[in-house]
Amino acid sequence: MLTSLIGYIVEVSRGLGITLSVFAMTLIISLPLGIVVAVCRISKNKIICSIAKLYIWVLRGTPLMLQIALVFFGLPSVGIVFDRLPAAYLACGLNYAAYFGEIFRSGIQSIEKGQREAANILGFKTAQFYRFILLPQAIKRTLPAIGNEVITLVKDTSLVYVVAVNDILRVAKGAGGRDANTLLAYVAAGLLYLVMTYVITKLFELIEKKVQYEE
Amino acid sequence: MKKKILSVCMATMMILGMAACGSSEQPTQQPEQEQTEQQATGEETESTLDYDKIVVGLDDTFAPLGFRDEEGNLVGVDVELMEATSEIMGIPFELQPIDWSMKETELANKNIDMIWNGYTITEERKEKVAFSQPYLNNRQVVVTMADTDINTLADLTDKTVAAQAESSAIDAINSKPEIAQTFKSLGEFETNDQCLMDLEAGRTDAVVADEVIIRYYVSKKGEEKYKILEEDFGKEEYGIGVRKEDTQLLEALNVALDTLKENGTTKEISEKWFGSDIIME
Repeated sequence: MLTSLIGYIVEVSRGLGITLSVFAMTLIISLPLGIVVAVCRISKNKIICSIAKLYIWVLRGTPLMLQIALVFFGLPSVGIVFDRLPAAYLACGLNYAAYFGEIFRSGIQSIEKGQREAANILGFKTAQFYRFILLPQAIKRTLPAIGNEVITLVKDTSLVYVVAVNDILRVAKGAGGRDANTLLAYVAAGLLYLVMTYVITKLFELIEKKVQYEE
Repeated sequence: MKKKILSVCMATMMILGMAACGSSEQPTQQPEQEQTEQQATGEETESTLDYDKIVVGLDDTFAPLGFRDEEGNLVGVDVELMEATSEIMGIPFELQPIDWSMKETELANKNIDMIWNGYTITEERKEKVAFSQPYLNNRQVVVTMADTDINTLADLTDKTVAAQAESSAIDAINSKPEIAQTFKSLGEFETNDQCLMDLEAGRTDAVVADEVIIRYYVSKKGEEKYKILEEDFGKEEYGIGVRKEDTQLLEALNVALDTLKENGTTKEISEKWFGSDIIME
């Protein structure tokens, strides 16, 4: 049993590349886009704000699997054709940008207005205020929420099954199906997810320590 | 500030737009002109198709028809048949894993040219795709634990039955409502392996599944533990699905399947995997 579990872990690791690439590309797309979403969402311009609200509503309000399927299978009907993996990157990135956007908004809005007024009086320009006063505090306050989301993302990467790329879970499903031993193969996949989330958890602990200061 | 926000938004949209345009140039559609030209030459040199390669869609988690061995290589009954067919047609096949629930969409979108993986021929599917001649016989059989007193379909009265969701087993059960109505319940699981696990746990009394598939699982889990009833939920056939407009491809495929049946290749593959020749004569 243990030897076959180890065997499955080795075999299922073949999906690690796909899982990690979806994970990384999603973060690369969604973190900057999330800032844009947050900034638009708190904009005083009603149109921009409404667009951001609509974006968040649609992207958070529909299943991610459906969004991946729509990007890969639906967009070709309007002439936009993505390969399997890029479609997954884009859909996951757009989806997570909505969640990150709301987290960033919570961080930005948690800074009292008084700080801005004080910064103005002290002669800070808007950019300087954001860079030196708002951002450090907002990042610190939102780190636990971002960590939550990043860990959810590790597991959400398995939704790429719909475009049939062989991530960890799909490899496990295939291996388990082959040997009529689905459960053990899934346990092996679960252990790999645990290792990944452990690394990310530790990483966030480190970052939180780095930004720790007296408020 | 507002202007800045606006320009950031615009920039993002433009980048996304460009990315989209960039990838749309990938050659996914066969130019029509090329097709007609090939048609003209096709009459002279037999079985010349306008394909550099044929992309075959298969579910690579579907043992024993198409799956991956420990090294990650694609193997299985259908995979071996594909290799033999490709050789006869003289066109390389590219095997593209797909998610089974998306198979017809993949075909319609031209991501793949064929659906080939234990694809049961049904009237419903005939509306969407063109089927090749059948190449494999299959039955919808009932599996129980060896020590139960279930021996006929009538014995399934008030029993809990399970089958793989979205499989032709479900269709087969529904096509016999007079029996299906006597079930205590019908559970649907994602895989046949899960059905058998539930059977073993005692929550399910009987599993209905493709004979081809379930015999493979039973042999993996231990033949002595299970029994397969003589009565079944009907016979069916596996075929290969292509787009309806690809008539030339379908024709070439049928010719190749004929050749494989004649020269004994299908018999060889069938005996290797099933111990008997269940591939269509």
